[in-house]
Amino acid sequence: MAKLAVRLQVIQAAMFVGLVALIGRAAQVQLVQGRRWASEAQIQRTEHIVLSARRGALLDRYGTPLALTQETYHVGVAPNELRDPERDGATLARQLHLALPDVRQTLSRRYAYFAGPFSAIQVQPLRAMRGVHLEAVVNRFYPRPELAHAVIGRVGDDGRGASGLELVLDSVLTGRPGAAVVLKDRAGREYESPARVIAPPVAGSDVVLTLDAELQDIAQRALDDAMRRTKADGGDVVMLDPATGEVLAVASRRRDGAVRASAFTDTFEPGSIAKIFAAGALLARGLVAPDERVSGEGGRYRLAKRTIVDEEPLPELTLADAIRVSSNIAIVKLAARLTPAAQYTTLRDFGFGAPTGIEFPTEAAGRLRPPVEWSRLSAASLAMGYELSVTTIQVAAAYGALANDGILLQPTLIRQIRGAEGDVVYRHRPEPVRRAVTADVARALRELLRGVVEHGTGTEAALATFPVAAKTGTARRVVRGRYAPGQYTASFAALFPADHPQIVLVVKIDNPRSGSYFASETAAPVTRSMLEQALAARDVALDRARLSTAAPRSPAAGPEEYGGVVPYVVTWPYQPDTAVPLFPPLARPRRPVPDVAGRNLREAVHVLHRQGFRVVLRGWGVARRTSPVAGDSAAPGSAVTLFAGPAPTPRAAPAPAPAPVPVPPTP
Amino acid sequence: MIERRWETRLLALLAAVLVVFGLVAVYGASSLVTTPAGDVGAGFALRQLFGAIAGGIVATVVARSDYHRWQRAAWPLLAATALLLLIPLLPFTRSIAPAINGARRWVSFGFVTVQPSELAKFTVVVWCAMLAAKKGEQIRTFRLGVLPFLTVLMPLLALIFFEPNLSMALLVAVLAGVVLFTAGARIGHFLVLAVGSAPLLFSAVASAQYRLARVLTFLNPGSAPAEATWQVHQSLVGIGAGKLLGVGLGQGQQKLGYLPYAYSDFIFSTIGEEWGFVGVSVMLLLLGTFVWLGFRIARSADSRFGQLLAVGLTGSIGISAILHVGVTLALLPTTGVTLPFISYGRSSLFMSLLVTGVLVSVGEGRGGVGR
Repeated sequence: MAKLAVRLQVIQAAMFVGLVALIGRAAQVQLVQGRRWASEAQIQRTEHIVLSARRGALLDRYGTPLALTQETYHVGVAPNELRDPERDGATLARQLHLALPDVRQTLSRRYAYFAGPFSAIQVQPLRAMRGVHLEAVVNRFYPRPELAHAVIGRVGDDGRGASGLELVLDSVLTGRPGAAVVLKDRAGREYESPARVIAPPVAGSDVVLTLDAELQDIAQRALDDAMRRTKADGGDVVMLDPATGEVLAVASRRRDGAVRASAFTDTFEPGSIAKIFAAGALLARGLVAPDERVSGEGGRYRLAKRTIVDEEPLPELTLADAIRVSSNIAIVKLAARLTPAAQYTTLRDFGFGAPTGIEFPTEAAGRLRPPVEWSRLSAASLAMGYELSVTTIQVAAAYGALANDGILLQPTLIRQIRGAEGDVVYRHRPEPVRRAVTADVARALRELLRGVVEHGTGTEAALATFPVAAKTGTARRVVRGRYAPGQYTASFAALFPADHPQIVLVVKIDNPRSGSYFASETAAPVTRSMLEQALAARDVALDRARLSTAAPRSPAAGPEEYGGVVPYVVTWPYQPDTAVPLFPPLARPRRPVPDVAGRNLREAVHVLHRQGFRVVLRGWGVARRTSPVAGDSAAPGSAVTLFAGPAPTPRAAPAPAPAPVPVPPTP
Repeated sequence: MIERRWETRLLALLAAVLVVFGLVAVYGASSLVTTPAGDVGAGFALRQLFGAIAGGIVATVVARSDYHRWQRAAWPLLAATALLLLIPLLPFTRSIAPAINGARRWVSFGFVTVQPSELAKFTVVVWCAMLAAKKGEQIRTFRLGVLPFLTVLMPLLALIFFEPNLSMALLVAVLAGVVLFTAGARIGHFLVLAVGSAPLLFSAVASAQYRLARVLTFLNPGSAPAEATWQVHQSLVGIGAGKLLGVGLGQGQQKLGYLPYAYSDFIFSTIGEEWGFVGVSVMLLLLGTFVWLGFRIARSADSRFGQLLAVGLTGSIGISAILHVGVTLALLPTTGVTLPFISYGRSSLFMSLLVTGVLVSVGEGRGGVGR
């Protein structure tokens, strides 16, 4: 047995050597190389991830969202991983609003993919389902993409602002992305826990714009109508609150479909709408008396080598007549009394030749040459609105100065900026640029403009209810450096109402081809249509209390009554029905109530607004009937109750295509 | 006989400690694997616990019974093992012996699934001890001593090899060798056998891609295929990251798919990561003590069969442990050897406990008759 003991010793020794070797090796790996292995483990198992910050929303002045950032999902399904394919398929179909047979069909593939995009609420019940993989996509959502498209702009593929306000406000809208370290497994799946947040993301600020979605809609539709009717190359509409400089609506359309905020970027020669500024220069310097008359020269007036023509000459004109009938001869003769410096300074003071400073990335400055660069004819040209180029927003701001008792305000698109926690970090206050003319001169100029609508070239813009002050402009267009024969820019600048204006409205139509090219017959009716709709719309930023005092045309109520501060937003203080008597019971012809049954609500309301009715909404969904019923007649300005109900087959058939909107014949 | 009772008690205690340690380690290493599969996190550990209970009961019964019964039952046991090993090789038995990871190593009997090769480790040792004890000094001759062993064991090893499970076949051969060596077989015979089987072994390794890859990986870690180095590398990452004190029970992260079979073939890596060098040392010392006690029992056993039986069974525990730990520490080529008492696998755990029971029986001299 001695032998056995020896052999056993040998085996035991071999085992002992093995044990020592293992412990030695473990010590080498764990104690000597431990740090290296640990760092390798750390590197392969953890991943730094960026926690993206929500981009701020863009809202209209009442909080209607114009641009939102939403997280949507694509849904991928590995059918072989599903616990209960039958039940899970049904859940998928229900949650994703897909037809069950289609879902079953898709699930028969090796990997099913539902592109969606689906909302967070839709996919919430799917999160716990095995075999379902959600792919989150953050995207910028424009609830009404066509609304103020060019001004709002878009974000690029990188999620940063690429154009328009999205670009200007990018640093405000973009939050600060956070960072975290997450644990991942070999397949790259990240584990929620343990995750270490290094820096939480800070959401971007929300920006409340000055735009009024309702007015914006009205402006865009009116401009579209005008473009269709006149076959114009393009056009702009700008609505401005003169008391604050806030842009309420800005619509731009190009016939070629280009999305360009041409109201800010494209310049044109304003023509007659600039005559009022020459008049302002004259009045401010006392160079013309109210009853002073100049000869109409029989419609042809030779100045140097040029002949100035009036289409409908008057024998003798006062300054008021010159503005009212837009007489070139009279304004040129009167403006000759101004020194070039005075003429230049006045135009400069109204903001021409310099960018307005509105928050748009590519605003054009326009062109106003200093007197040293003038030719002998420049003074006459400038009096008629030539030899200077302006943008629509510059015209709106300058007319805003007339409305605002002579003080030029910087126009703005931004009303308020709210931080991630809802705190207001910026609130717009009117920013005076300078006083262009005195309050008295501004008032006198408004009276001149009022004459245009009452008896002059702007009668097409007249409303039965409220006085409007306005000026027409029909200027020849420059194409490739020369005046193109038969091409005109029709423009119209209006103050509404004429006393204590609340809206400055500028319409510009480029090269109307169909029918008359005169602004009085192209741009002016568009303006009236917009004002009527604005009055009929419920939510538009009109101070109706002050409108009502203005209506009887008594200049009694001045801004002083409001403590010098003009409340530019006042909620509608009246019930719709009681509001009706506000409109003077003029002998306006009653209008037929249009048939809107079956249309979607927005269309229906729009049609009723166009007819000048106020709309009281009952229900939601698709328009059913109205009271008074379609075909009946009602007075413009009276309330029409619109009954709506849920759409009959919401998913099977899309909303009925909007029929062409019946345009009421313009009187 | 009274004076050596402490060894058997300590042996039983060690086995119990190792089993508990193992249950904890299995739970920690498997919970993340089971959860995404829709199983409860403790599923593996619970199944292991049932194996431990069954094994514990059997071991207790065995420990209190006469170990010479094994001597008498050696031939029938070997025959039964051979039969079991044959089942997975038959083409019409797929329903009870399905292929798992490309190998058919398990046989299902409905209520229990058995890994016949685990059983073979035990029965071969029992049979060799029986025959070597019977042959006595004849073992030193080739024709009457070694040849009978070869005649019976070669077909059995072939069965294991064709499962396929090369490493287990080698392990069983080594265990048989340990018994014969202890019994006094000539060293010259071992040398001849070793030289003679070398070409066989080489062709066996070269015949299967995964074996070749594993060996190449071991010989030259840089040049081998990526997936082959992966396991070993990740095992080292896990153990190394444990450093001195480990990252804490359950805190190991290599099991997140980085380390395959973190609960069975690479459980020592998980232990190294979670318990650190301290835990690794304790674990190895516990196993080392177990082996040391086993050899102590062998040395003082009251019969030659008992001695050889104890040596062979202790060797089966010790060599399995060294193989397993050596693989996880990249000291040996990758093989699927379980860590006795610890790794997930009820066959392995059951056999470990059975071995403990037999060793206790030998140690307490429950032979009835003296030498």
